[in-house]
Amino acid sequence: MEGKHSSPHSINLLKKIKDFTRSILEDLCNGCSPTIYIDKFRTYCTESSGNCCCSSDLPKGKEILTLQRECHARRMDVLLRVLMVVQQLLQENRHASKRDIYYMNPLIFKEQSVVDRAINDICILLHCSRHNLNVVSVGNGLVMGWLRFSEAGRKFDCINSPNTAHPIPVHVEYVEDIISVAQYILIVEKESVFQRLANDQFCRQNRCIVITGRGYPDVPTRRFLRLLIETLHLTAYCLVDCDPYGIDILSTYRFGSMQMAYDAKFLRIPEIHWLGAFPSDCEKYHLPQQCLLSLTAEDKQKVEGMLLRCYLEHEVPLWRAELQLLLDRGFKFEIEALSVHTLSFLSNEYLPSKIQSGAYI
Amino acid sequence: MEVNSVQNLCNYLITCAIRRCRISEDFCRLSISVKSSPQSTTPLLWISVSDTGVGSTLEEFLGLKFANDPIVADKWDGVICVATTSISDKEIHHFKVNLTETDSSRRMTKLHSVTKNGAKFSGTEVSLWISENIDDLLRDITFFLRKMLVLKAPVSSYELFRFSMLILPTIPALKNVLTSDFFFLKLLWSQCESHILQLASSSLPSSAPNIDQLKSGFEEYVSKHGNILNDVCHRCFSTGSREYLKVGSGVACSTGNQRSNGQVMEVVIIVSEIPETTQSSCFRAYDKKTEILYFKDYSPCSISQSSLDALTSIKWKDYGLTLRSIAVQDGCTLLEWQNLPPFAHIDIVLHSYHKQVLILPCKESSQVDQSLTRKAVKLALNELKEKNGGVLLSERALKICNYAPDLAKTIAGLILSSHDLSFKGECISLLGLQFQEITRNVVEDCIKEKIISAIGLNDIKPQRTREAASFLFDDEVIQELDTLDEEYEECEEAFGS
Repeated sequence: MEGKHSSPHSINLLKKIKDFTRSILEDLCNGCSPTIYIDKFRTYCTESSGNCCCSSDLPKGKEILTLQRECHARRMDVLLRVLMVVQQLLQENRHASKRDIYYMNPLIFKEQSVVDRAINDICILLHCSRHNLNVVSVGNGLVMGWLRFSEAGRKFDCINSPNTAHPIPVHVEYVEDIISVAQYILIVEKESVFQRLANDQFCRQNRCIVITGRGYPDVPTRRFLRLLIETLHLTAYCLVDCDPYGIDILSTYRFGSMQMAYDAKFLRIPEIHWLGAFPSDCEKYHLPQQCLLSLTAEDKQKVEGMLLRCYLEHEVPLWRAELQLLLDRGFKFEIEALSVHTLSFLSNEYLPSKIQSGAYI
Repeated sequence: MEVNSVQNLCNYLITCAIRRCRISEDFCRLSISVKSSPQSTTPLLWISVSDTGVGSTLEEFLGLKFANDPIVADKWDGVICVATTSISDKEIHHFKVNLTETDSSRRMTKLHSVTKNGAKFSGTEVSLWISENIDDLLRDITFFLRKMLVLKAPVSSYELFRFSMLILPTIPALKNVLTSDFFFLKLLWSQCESHILQLASSSLPSSAPNIDQLKSGFEEYVSKHGNILNDVCHRCFSTGSREYLKVGSGVACSTGNQRSNGQVMEVVIIVSEIPETTQSSCFRAYDKKTEILYFKDYSPCSISQSSLDALTSIKWKDYGLTLRSIAVQDGCTLLEWQNLPPFAHIDIVLHSYHKQVLILPCKESSQVDQSLTRKAVKLALNELKEKNGGVLLSERALKICNYAPDLAKTIAGLILSSHDLSFKGECISLLGLQFQEITRNVVEDCIKEKIISAIGLNDIKPQRTREAASFLFDDEVIQELDTLDEEYEECEEAFGS
C-alpha cells in the first residue's frame, strides 16, 4: 500500500497512475499500440471571427500519442519516465524540482523543456496541478512591503522591514496567516526595478506590496499573487517595459501561459491592471529620443503575432490599442528610461501620479 | 510461341502436358523420358513427354514457330511426333508435325491410328529426336523440374498430377559417359524418385488450398536450397525445423469478368535468417539478390513485364527494403537489395493462373496482371510482417522500435516500483506471467516483445490512417505552437514555469 504519510490527494493520484499503467498494459496485451489521449488546452487563438471559445477552460481537442510516429514514441518514453519519478515521489511523500528530474536522465531528456512538457502532459492526464505531483520549481519571485504570512510554520515578516526583498515561498499551498495593511499590490517585471523601488524606500512611503517574478513569472509567484489578491481583496497594478516582451509578461499574469493553459484557471489574475509603461508615456513624461530604441524585426514579428490573440481583442481592447501603437510608432523603451530625469523619478513621481490619477488600463 | 532452343521447346511441351492434366478430372501421370541412340555417332537423344491428361487438340503444336536459327536447326529437325487420344476416342491417333514447313496446311501429317481395343483412357505422348549433349539437357530439365516441385499438388483433386522422370541410357551410350556423369545420372534419378515419394506422402491433404500447397512447396524449395538437396539443409536450418523461415503469402483474384478470365495471382515470400557460422560451411552462396520464381498456369517461365512493373512499383521502403536493381538474365529475374539485414535472405515465388483452364492460353490484360501481382505481393509482405514481429519493418518503424527497450523498462518500472501488491499481481497476470518467477528482466522482455509486435502491426496500416490519428478531434492548429510539436524547444522563461 501507499506510504503512511501520503495525503488523500496523493493516494487518489497514485490510483490514477495505476489505472493509466494498467490501460497501457491492456493495450499491449491486446496486440495494440498504447494510445494516450491528452486534452489540448489554450489560452487564446488567432481566430479573427470572434467566434472562438478560448475564454472557456474546457479542453479544445485532443492529442493522441501512439507508437506510430517516432516523435510520439519519444514523447511517450519521456512521459512514462517522468511518471515513474512522480509515482515514487507520491509514494514516499517527497518533493523534487523539475531540474532534479531532468538530472535523473539528462542523456535521455536532452533538455529541460522536454521534462517540462512531460510534467504538463501528466498534469493533464491526471487532472491536477503541477504541485500536486510533488514537483516544484526553484522559487524565482521576490516580495516586499506591508505583508506578514507563514509557510509551513516559517514566518515571513515583511512589515518589519518593508523595503527588504523576501523570496516567494515555493509551497504556496502551505502559506497561511496572511496579514496586510497594504492598499494595493504592485507587480514589476524586472528585479532591477524591484531593487530601484527598494532603494528608494518605496514601501515606506506607499502602503503596498511589491512583487516581481523576475521576467516571465513562475508558477509559485503567480499562485502566491493570486492567493494574496483573493485573501486581501487588493487592487493589483503591473509595471512592465514598453516592449513586446513586457506586454507578453503582463499577458501571462493576466491570462496565463499557453504552455500551462490546462491550469490557467488557477494561475491567471483577471483583476490585474496595466499601470505602464505605455507607448504614449514617452510624450507624457518627456522621454528624450536617445532613450527610445527602434523595434527589431523580431520585435515587430512578435507584436504582430500578439495582436492576433483573441483575448486582447475581446477582454482588454485598450491593451491591444497600446500594443498597436507600439507597432505603429516603431520604438520601445525600458522602465529604467524614466530615470533620465532623476534617479527616483519612478518612485516619487511616475508611480504615485499614475495610481492617484487612475492612469492605468 | 517461337522455338529458339531445345530447352525452350522441352519446357513448352511439359507445360502443355501439365495443362492437359489440369483439364482432366482425374489423377494424371506425367512422364519425361530421355533415351540416347546407340547407333549414332553424334549424341542423338530421343525425348518423350507423355501424360494421362485429356487428349490434345493439336492446336498447341501447330502454333509453334521454328526460329530461323542455325544453332537450333543443327540440333533439331523441326519434327514432333504426337500420339494422342481422348477418353471418348476408340483409337490412338498419330501425327507428325513439321515446323519447318512454311505452308501451314502441310505442317501436320496424320499417320496411322491404333485401336484402343475398347479400353477407356486418355493421354498424349509428344516425342522428338534432338542432337544435344545429354548432360546439358538433363541439367536443364532437372532445373525446370526442381522449380515445378514448388507447386506440389495443385488446386483441387481433379486437377492433381504427378510426374516422374525416366532415364534409360543404353549401354553403348553409357560407355561414352564419364564416371562423374554416371553419378550425376544416378543422383538425378534418386532425386526424382525421392521427390515422387515426397509428393505422395505430402502432409497436406490434396484438398488443401492452392496457396497452402505453394507455401509448403516453396518452404521445402528454400530449405533444400532450390530443391538441390534431398533433405533440409541442416547446416543452414538447424534441427531441420523451419524456425528460420518467416513465411508470408498473398492471393489476389480478378473479379472474373471476361477480360481477366478468372485470373489468380498467388505469391509466397520467405525471409530466411541464416546464422553467420553456417554461412561459411554451406555450399549455398548467400548474397543480397533474390531470384523471382515465376509460374504461369503451373509451369515455370519468365516473369511477365506487367508483373515486373508491379514489383518495381512496390514501396519496398515500407518494408524496410531498398531495391537497388532488377535484372533479367536468361529468363531469370533477380532483385538486388541495397540494405538487406545481415544473414537474411529473401525468396519470392509468383504463380499466375486461371481458375478456368483453357487449352490455349488467352491474351491477358497487363493492367489486371500488374494490379494482381502488386496486390498479392503486398498481402504476402503484410502477412509476413503480421506473423513475425520485428520482420520487414519500415525504416520509420525500426526507429520507433529503438524506443521499445526503454519503454519496456519504464513500464516494468511503473509496475514493479508500485507499493500496491495487488496492482503488481494484476499486471503480472495480464502479461501472462507467473508471479513466483518474476524478475525485472522477465517483465521487461515480455513487455518489449509486445511493444515490438504492436509497432509491427501499426506498420502495416496505411500511412493515411497514421497521419490522421495523431490530430483527431483537433479542431484548430495554433500557429505559434506548431514549432513545439516535434522537439518542444521553448525556453524556460517563455514556458511560464
